[in-house]
Amino acid sequence: MDFVQSFRQNFIEGDRWKYLTDGLVVTLEITGAAVLLGLLLGFIVAIIRCTYLKTGKMKIADALCRLYLTVIRGTPMMVQLLIIYFVVFASVNISKTLVAIIAFGINSGAYVAEIVRGGIMSIDNGQMEAGRSLGLNYRQTMTSIIMPQALKTVLPALANECIVLLKETSVAGYIGIYDLTKGGDEIRAQTYSPFLPLIAVAVVYLVMVMFLTFLVGKLERRLSANDRR
Amino acid sequence: MIDVKGLKKSFGEIEVLKGIDEHIEKGEKVVIIGPSGSGKSTFLRCLNFMEKPTAGEILFEGKDITKLKEKEIDHVRQRMGMVFQHFNLFPHMSIRKNITFAPVKLGLMTKDEANAKAEELLKRVGLPDKADEYPTRLSGGQKQRIAIARALAMNPEVILFDEPTSALDPEMVGEVLELMKQLADAGMTMVVVTHEMGFAKEVASRVLFMADGYVMEQNTPQEFFENPQNPRLKEFLSKVLV
Repeated sequence: MDFVQSFRQNFIEGDRWKYLTDGLVVTLEITGAAVLLGLLLGFIVAIIRCTYLKTGKMKIADALCRLYLTVIRGTPMMVQLLIIYFVVFASVNISKTLVAIIAFGINSGAYVAEIVRGGIMSIDNGQMEAGRSLGLNYRQTMTSIIMPQALKTVLPALANECIVLLKETSVAGYIGIYDLTKGGDEIRAQTYSPFLPLIAVAVVYLVMVMFLTFLVGKLERRLSANDRR
Repeated sequence: MIDVKGLKKSFGEIEVLKGIDEHIEKGEKVVIIGPSGSGKSTFLRCLNFMEKPTAGEILFEGKDITKLKEKEIDHVRQRMGMVFQHFNLFPHMSIRKNITFAPVKLGLMTKDEANAKAEELLKRVGLPDKADEYPTRLSGGQKQRIAIARALAMNPEVILFDEPTSALDPEMVGEVLELMKQLADAGMTMVVVTHEMGFAKEVASRVLFMADGYVMEQNTPQEFFENPQNPRLKEFLSKVLV
């Protein structure tokens, strides 16, 4: 079977290319929503942890956050996904995509939290002192003085976390979601030819990652170009 | 204006301040000198509650700030400026924003009022053309002058200076001290921790010598430098006044 014939069989016949495009849409949906959820969770956790580290307040919340970080970062993503789908939402009628978004969001939040915490802690303590000495309260100093500076330092790392998440979502097929990976695998199952569909899937991921990496690089250069520190 | 009674401060096992009683009048310029590790910076930082005292009272205009709620402490801090060794300007804000941010955010001035005030202060510190620059573009001396302007923008009753010239290149010390001298002449109440003996002699209304967590000696600058009593102070002065 030559290449053209194989290509035709895998992608054209029966509109099989649609498995890839439909899957890609699902992958992007899950990634996008999970990134947002992860950022939200991550920022909340980071701020709680920093508040505890800097002021000693929110002790219980900090303990809960540390438990969350330990569990999420100490277990494989796929196990978390399976537990959330088959255990947590076992008896709930809920869309699989939503379950995946929740699972990937919770997972990503743990990594975002540590990135953001690192960013906040990297800002010189003198900044907090200067803000407080002017009579600004902790929250005002945090949001207007510390966070803008911290955000700038962690932006590239956060963007990289998004890239990692995009690839991680490829395990979504384990709960029966037709994402990009599962779509390619479906073609393989129908045509009994693994090579082209799986390579195609890999190429799509690679192109997306390369594009995002290119954007991150651009972002980093722009940030360092107008670095005012 | 500020009354300190039995002030003690420990960091873990180490007692840095071992009992300080001090009274600072309105309009006074109190200069604190002493060897490093003597607790002078810690004492200064206790005055605006940057450090929480372990024991004792600090009365600011009659109110014991060690008993205030956090929100009330913020109010006290609005009226006590602080200038740091490392300037601590906000690097992500323009000079104008550095000066106007706190008064506007705290609702003490409108944006226009604060901008006018910043304009006036920049003239006063001799940097009228720097409003739109960012802190990295300034020299150390200029940064410290802006930091002083930032403190002044709050119209404070007193300004605490924590070794304001220690991080500066020698040729920039003069411009900052000159500005501080102007402030003193204008009647500002100042508490200054410094190693600049010349400044202490010339500007201080009272000089305090701190060592081992105590105020060992205090006097008018003339008596303090010409007629020191405490052996520790004599030794210290013999080392710094060469």
